[in-house]
Amino acid sequence: MQIYLPIAEVSVNIFLILGMGGGIGFLSGLFGVGGGFLMTPLLIFIGIPPAVAVATEANQIVASSVSGVLAHWKRGNVDFKMGAALLVGGVIGSTAGVSLFTFLRELGQIDLVIKLSYVVFLGIIGGLMFVESLRALLRSKRQAPPKRRTHYWIHGLPFKMRFKRSKVYISALLPLVIGIIVGILSAIMGVGGGFIMVPAMIYLLGMPTSVVVGTSLFQIIFVTANVTVLQSVNNYAVDVVLAILLLIGAVIGAQFGARAGAKLGGEQLRILLALMVLGVCVKIGLDLTLTPDDLFGIAQDGGH
Amino acid sequence: MKKFCLNALLSVFVFAAMSAFSHATLADSLDVDLSKPEVELTTSFDGAQLLFFGVHTPGTDVIVVVRGPEKDTPVRRKERIAGIWVNSDEVMFKKVPTFYSAAATRPPEEILDAETLRKFEIGVENLNLVPGNAIYSMDDITVFSAGLLRNMQRIELFSAKIGEIKKVGKQLFRTNLWFPSNVNVGGYIVTTHLVMDGKITETKVTNILVHKTGIEAGIYNFAHDHALLYGLLAVLIAVVSGWSANAIFRKG
Repeated sequence: MQIYLPIAEVSVNIFLILGMGGGIGFLSGLFGVGGGFLMTPLLIFIGIPPAVAVATEANQIVASSVSGVLAHWKRGNVDFKMGAALLVGGVIGSTAGVSLFTFLRELGQIDLVIKLSYVVFLGIIGGLMFVESLRALLRSKRQAPPKRRTHYWIHGLPFKMRFKRSKVYISALLPLVIGIIVGILSAIMGVGGGFIMVPAMIYLLGMPTSVVVGTSLFQIIFVTANVTVLQSVNNYAVDVVLAILLLIGAVIGAQFGARAGAKLGGEQLRILLALMVLGVCVKIGLDLTLTPDDLFGIAQDGGH
Repeated sequence: MKKFCLNALLSVFVFAAMSAFSHATLADSLDVDLSKPEVELTTSFDGAQLLFFGVHTPGTDVIVVVRGPEKDTPVRRKERIAGIWVNSDEVMFKKVPTFYSAAATRPPEEILDAETLRKFEIGVENLNLVPGNAIYSMDDITVFSAGLLRNMQRIELFSAKIGEIKKVGKQLFRTNLWFPSNVNVGGYIVTTHLVMDGKITETKVTNILVHKTGIEAGIYNFAHDHALLYGLLAVLIAVVSGWSANAIFRKG
């Protein structure tokens, strides 16, 4: 059954979109990630104009993050103070990111920047995650003692604040800067940014893993909401019909994914996720480097 | 099934039109009409077919050209920089039709000379593409316009070949105009040329309006006229559905 999307201005199969939402939702429930980094490239792949894919995916992530954060909130796993610090940076970053997006779109380079960001960030995160989880897997077999917390230069930064829930005493500049960077990426890549935020919180901020996901989801809600509104105003690129179809599939898939995830071991899950991230990275990297079928292209933007 | 019914209905319409025409005096020129003067983009829109028909002087040929609303269209050339394909040069073509298709009773090059085909822009290769920036050589403009045609044909907004106009009896003709699901909204112009002895003797212009309707139009207009409110509502919808999904699945 075909449905004509009012903003994307293309006709898509309704079951394909629901299925994609379900599939990615399952993976996001399984791995505890938003799944934006998989969904946005998929949407572009099936013919949704990149601008609409990025903006609409931000809207869908609002829904999945709300759904996800509630469970963490109940268990007290959200550090609101840390979330607020990240959020201030996130709003600044995502606002700048949407302006950058509009500018690059006029320049004709938005597709390139979206793809390059994907290759670079997925490559780095996927690689690190893969190495780290392999190491952890080996370590758990050898029963080695856990690594001690080291003293980095970042602990010498000014404006130190105590974040009780996270049990850290660090400079407020740190979450602010991380928030800004992830906010920019969120606007350009159409992702929540959890896959960057979570490792940054663990390794740079030294937060305990128990509060990381909840706090990350908490701030992602506001950053992606900001992106949704700004993309609507600046680029008219949010397609609510597409967003609703995606989130119906995603919320259902996520529930099943979470149940399946409980049965698998944490380290195996992380290796799987790392491989998937690297797979997407390689696919987009090939798109950029293999000679295209046609060296000439026309601008095809939705929302006009 | 739906398409079949539509076609059957259209056939009835044509034959009714045919009998009406046959009772009138013998047409000495050209008259045309459409099964419907509009294409409505509804939720279930997946391309549309309109029946275009008319009468012409017996023994003459007919050429039909459909053009969509015009838009300045940038064409970009990719270049390999440090192993990565990057958009580099850009030629902005002025007022390019966003849709183009043509149909004829016989191949146009058999009934009109090349100069006339170019003048009346019959066939995509005869479209007059005018670059807005004049910093490129003629050779460059040729490859860029060829690139534009290839891209437009790939997304089916330009028809690659001339469609067929069927002659029915002595003076009636009919053809199907196809609008793919990615058509742009706006005013479309159907130009019908009557060709006699290698010359265009008469031209008729018909308009088709392609527009969004119903909920599609509502959402699109709302998104453009009240962008901020639209964005806020999109967020609200997302928050409410995220919240209710959580509530539903917690119980279950």
